[in-house]
Amino acid sequence: MPKFEVPRFTFWRGVLLVILALGTYSTVVRVFQGLAGSTNLSDSFPWGIWIGFDILCGVALAAGGFTISATVYIFNLEKFRPIVRPAILTAFLGYVLVIVALLYDLGRPWNVWHPLVMWNPHSVMFEVGWCVTLYTTVLALEFSPIVLERFKMTKTLHVMHFIMPLLVVLGVLLSTLHQSSLGSFYLIVPTKLHALWYSPLIPLYFFLTALTLGCAMTIVESFLSHRAFGKQLEMELLVPLGRVALLILALTSVIRFADFRHRGILGLPFQATYESRLWLAEMLIGVLAPGVLLAIPKVRKHTTGLFLAALLIVMGVVMNRLNVSITGMERSSGQIYVPAFTEIAVTLSVVGVGFLIFALAVKFLPVFPEHEMKEARPIVVPAGGNVSGQPIRSLPVPALVVVALAFFGAVALGADGVRRREVDPGPPAPSATKPELAAALASFTPPAEIVFPQAPDSPGPASFRHASHVDASAPDCLSCHGNTYSFLGRKEAPPAGQMHDTKHCGGCHDGTSAFAIEADCSPCHKAE
Amino acid sequence: MLKPQTKGLLLDTTRCIGCGACALACKERNKLPKTSDDVLKDELSDKTYSVVKQVGPRYVRRMCMHCVTPSCASACPVAALEKSAAGPVIYHESKCMGCRYCMIACPFGIPKYEWEKKAPLVRKCDLCADRLEKGLKTGCATACPTGATSFGDRDALIAEAKERFRANPGRYNEHIYGIEEVGGTSVLIISDGKAEELGYPAGLDGTAPAFLTWRVLNIIPDIVMTSAVLLGGIYWIRNRRDEVEAAEGSHHETPKEH
Ligand code: SF4
Ligand code: SF4
Ligand code: SF4
Repeated sequence: MPKFEVPRFTFWRGVLLVILALGTYSTVVRVFQGLAGSTNLSDSFPWGIWIGFDILCGVALAAGGFTISATVYIFNLEKFRPIVRPAILTAFLGYVLVIVALLYDLGRPWNVWHPLVMWNPHSVMFEVGWCVTLYTTVLALEFSPIVLERFKMTKTLHVMHFIMPLLVVLGVLLSTLHQSSLGSFYLIVPTKLHALWYSPLIPLYFFLTALTLGCAMTIVESFLSHRAFGKQLEMELLVPLGRVALLILALTSVIRFADFRHRGILGLPFQATYESRLWLAEMLIGVLAPGVLLAIPKVRKHTTGLFLAALLIVMGVVMNRLNVSITGMERSSGQIYVPAFTEIAVTLSVVGVGFLIFALAVKFLPVFPEHEMKEARPIVVPAGGNVSGQPIRSLPVPALVVVALAFFGAVALGADGVRRREVDPGPPAPSATKPELAAALASFTPPAEIVFPQAPDSPGPASFRHASHVDASAPDCLSCHGNTYSFLGRKEAPPAGQMHDTKHCGGCHDGTSAFAIEADCSPCHKAE
Repeated sequence: MLKPQTKGLLLDTTRCIGCGACALACKERNKLPKTSDDVLKDELSDKTYSVVKQVGPRYVRRMCMHCVTPSCASACPVAALEKSAAGPVIYHESKCMGCRYCMIACPFGIPKYEWEKKAPLVRKCDLCADRLEKGLKTGCATACPTGATSFGDRDALIAEAKERFRANPGRYNEHIYGIEEVGGTSVLIISDGKAEELGYPAGLDGTAPAFLTWRVLNIIPDIVMTSAVLLGGIYWIRNRRDEVEAAEGSHHETPKEH
């Protein structure tokens, strides 16, 4: 076990610190000012990046866990065993962080457990809630041997090894279900989600992209751990993963093409709308570019090439989830959503905390095989078998991510003018002219006369006629209703004797708005 | 599924004069604060469950449609929203966890949220469920002076709408919005204009959006069973090979490459 040492201050650690500070500030804002104070969400746009990124992408990014554990335990491809632990650790961390992020987004986070006891099996969200809860538990169990090993609890360890295959099968089932169900969320909004993303097949797309992402994330993680911890690169494992990713990418594209043709929207991506631009960006970054890279064997087997392709896939899936949850929902909402600073800070912090815990776990728990870590300590980059190895350390990863995000952002901004024209509702319709109103008024009979109780000294009962109180050229019921008289309780006429005061007839019959009450009784009171 | 005696409303835009009595009565019944000086400029919000909008030459009400198969209730993970037997889609606020999926799901954009509050709730019209229980009409139908909002059994309202079509030839665009749309709604609209001219979503499918989800959810048990058997089978086959190899003494400590 490595000795504890005071961490050195590096640039990226500084960045992390700043992010966490901003995240803490935003958390305070979220707690004390509610959703209104901490987000740009609104009635027309109720789901923002906390759902679109933290939940949809978060769950997808954790797909490495089930992809790899299935490969090793179920398909018995033992050679992948060295990367099982990091994959499960990332998945577990991912899910815990997803749940934490969900607490930010829920209006009543203290009720987060409700789906476990208040059932609605018709709801996709209900199913996802259960799956995520169960799967997080399964992941914790799958991860537990690592902790048990660390504390040398051999007995429990044996039990865990025994039930592991069961856990893995359960985990794979649960992941399959909710990875696709995150897409099923959107099945219920055929009129709201843009046709480029809405499809009856959206659950399948979400599942397939999660699978591709599972492979890509494993590759990216391996490279990042290689850089960060000097861990050996298992190119002989990663290259086949790249090939699987390529296969699923191709399969998804074929299905998507058939689906678009079936729905007759093959032309839609080329209509130069706000949505079509972002759709094309998504396809270019997440499907075409990595597809081409992976299809060339030389590039695929090259460390940099493989890493780049995997990184592109990851970013493509992130763009897909954001497009589904945000871009695709904007037009129907008639609103443009830009996340608030606090929303972004929380999201970045969640990612930052993930990195931090992963690093700590790697340091203090046997996540990577012991010998590898020792071997690789004085960062010597192994050539990686028969693969043409290039020191991957020269690749500026954060810079790459920034460039890709900037590209996506630029496309979004570039299309912004288009978007504002297209999404913003036009000027309000010109108001109807009064004659039309009067015509409408003419076609109905106002409610019947109301006869008020007669006061002792009164010459006769007073009656109120609606017809004589509505000006046909400027009809308005609200001058009285809504101020003086209730709509619901208008059965009760004012008590005898109070009719003349300012709360009742006298309110208007004051000699200014209408003829005064005292002058002449006959307009209202019929003499006996 | 829908019992014939379920209550509903019939909105007739040809009779509406835009007085806003319904909207104000709604405020009164729900004890909601005033949100606008001009009732026609008001918008649906957590403080306004019903508005009258001027759309071109017409006045059109906006309120919860009380769908026969409500998307909102289907989406809600905790069954906080429920289509009651009497007709109203009601909200059990103590169940709600504030995921706002109901707002995403509603095809009419009806549920609104108390964004400003620390313990926010979803807000929308509940068809005056408590008044209905007492045998009263909804607040808005009580207040409407022209009969543009009428209350009754859904079947009777449909018959009434057809009667109005018959008695006033040429006055209506003879379509009852809400018989078919999204699988039917308890609030029905008739007008001289088409749905899109009223600012209502046009061309809605006769299938409730909720069914699109249920179709997929229904095959899940099958998927689970099949995949469980499949995965278990693969596991058994792949691992048995190792066992056999081990028994034959040819098991390798490190499995074969490729
Ligand atoms: S209109 Fe919307 S809120 Fe009302 S019942 Fe239908 S889906 Fe629910
Ligand atoms: S916000 Fe409340 S009522 Fe709406 S879907 Fe979520 S839990 Fe149900
Ligand atoms: S039915 Fe009741 S709650 Fe709904 S709009 Fe009418 S008055 Fe308001």
